[in-house]
Amino acid sequence: MNKLIAFAVTAAFAAPAMSQAPAWHQGKPPAQAESKLAPHAGKMTETPAGEIHVDKLKLPAGFKAELWASGMPGGRAMAISEDGKKVYLGTRVIGRVYEVSDDGSKRSVRVVVDKLTQPAGVALKDGNLYVFAIDKVLRFDGITKSGDVKPVDMTAKFDLPKEQHHNWKYVAFGPDNKLYVPFGAPCNICEPPSKEYAQIRRYNADGSGKEVIATGVRNSVGFDWHPKTKELYFTDHGRDWAGDKGFEDELNKVSKPGGFYGFPYCHNNGTPDPDVKKAKACEGVTKPVLLMGPHAAVMGIKFYTGKMFPAEYQNTAFVVRKGSWNREKPFGFDVVNVRVGEDGKASSRPFMSGFQEGGDSYKFWGRPAYVAQMPDGALLVSDEQTGAIYRISYQSPKGAAKKK
Amino acid sequence: MPGLLRKGRWACVLTAFFSVVVFSQEKIQLCAACHGPEGNSPDPKIPSIAGQPKLFIETQLVLFREELRKSEQMLPIVRGMKDPEIIKLAEHFSKLPSKGMESGKPDAALLKTGAEKAKALRCGICHTADFGGQNQVPRLAGQRETYLEAEMRAYRDGKRSGGDTIMAAALYGVSDADIRALAHFLSRRGGP
Repeated sequence: MNKLIAFAVTAAFAAPAMSQAPAWHQGKPPAQAESKLAPHAGKMTETPAGEIHVDKLKLPAGFKAELWASGMPGGRAMAISEDGKKVYLGTRVIGRVYEVSDDGSKRSVRVVVDKLTQPAGVALKDGNLYVFAIDKVLRFDGITKSGDVKPVDMTAKFDLPKEQHHNWKYVAFGPDNKLYVPFGAPCNICEPPSKEYAQIRRYNADGSGKEVIATGVRNSVGFDWHPKTKELYFTDHGRDWAGDKGFEDELNKVSKPGGFYGFPYCHNNGTPDPDVKKAKACEGVTKPVLLMGPHAAVMGIKFYTGKMFPAEYQNTAFVVRKGSWNREKPFGFDVVNVRVGEDGKASSRPFMSGFQEGGDSYKFWGRPAYVAQMPDGALLVSDEQTGAIYRISYQSPKGAAKKK
Repeated sequence: MPGLLRKGRWACVLTAFFSVVVFSQEKIQLCAACHGPEGNSPDPKIPSIAGQPKLFIETQLVLFREELRKSEQMLPIVRGMKDPEIIKLAEHFSKLPSKGMESGKPDAALLKTGAEKAKALRCGICHTADFGGQNQVPRLAGQRETYLEAEMRAYRDGKRSGGDTIMAAALYGVSDADIRALAHFLSRRGGP
């Protein structure tokens, strides 16, 4: 078994000749051989509320951020119950799924399940919680109502491949009631060792009806559906070790299932990869809707349909950029607002920042990861570094003309 | 009434503070029993924890507690341990000076191979040039040789994970002999 894994790992690294480098390290050019850049350390212990600098967060006029819940180390993707009273959070290294319960005035936190291998994916459907770890799928039936329930092990239904790198999940149910699950490339840049990687699939809720809906997807850990067109928009991390300028992270769109999104041959708006070469590398590649910036670590996306925010935000997307590591100068560490026009063209503007305070050097106290919308139209933003959730609300500034 | 409430809260804070301090002293002694009185281990199979980066100690204690890094010895010690206690212990041991422990005569050929391997595998990129470690990445310099060798083999053979697969990938295909040389070399690195 170990031999098999080891073999697959080598195969994954086989493209450029660096057979021993860790996956995140692989693909490093000689010019960057002595680079000290490395992924940022996560924090595995609780951050006390007093050490979470919510007062430093910057938002447009009229918006306010408050600390809504804390004490969930590593908490990232959120699944919210319909009444907004339960929020489930997946994690990576610490191996837990949290449940945050809101009684209207304060929040309490419990661990639903632990000791899992990176249970990053959480989704709710009809009151049942789906948890996706790298090597396990669990379903907690009726959890939003009945609390402590024993999970049903669904692992065998989902054909999970064995490589771990980039195979922590984001999962969500689409408007078609299907469960969407990404399978990242197990490397920085390589020809994937088999066809099960670098793709997004959808399944029926019970794991049947597997269908690959996008290929050439390096590492997507966030997606949502446009409220009007019902098209899937997914974020995707660009490759590392290709310099400070990129390649850029992407926002992509699935208009119809089966598109090829370029990995490992083609990046950005049609630039061939310098290491994994192919003739006509960008032919037939579905190009991104919007480039999201170099090494931005683009994560969660949520189209806004609530009533609380000004009308201009209706059907626009909030997109989180957790922030770079593979770049001399920091980039991201914010939430941006993306508007998709009638012509399909997209543009982005700043929304939430203040996590990174070191200017051109890395000095951050938080790393935003995901966004979710509450029934009252407020936005929740999770912070993987502090293990906290911020609530973003809007109140029209005094004297501002109210528009219908 | 608000005054009373405030007093009550202070009493609670003070109790919590002292219980952490008292608890930590007991735990520190418990750690010292195996890892050495100042965190420099007298037993070649047990790691030194003095001078390890604070975040590394925190992370490992959490991984032991969550049973993501499996250890029969460590689990009873950390079971149920609260995060503030873990942070206190990490702070304490990270501040103690690391001392190279008596490990027998160095073998010149092994040292040479170990130094070459450490360079080729680029251990210093994450573990820093003097192998003193940083953030979540442990100090290797002056670590006990037997422990280093066993852990590197465990990583390579998929028997130790926790966190991620970086070390398994870094040590993929490295021979037993080279791991021995690496351990010999790293355990004899000094440095602050």
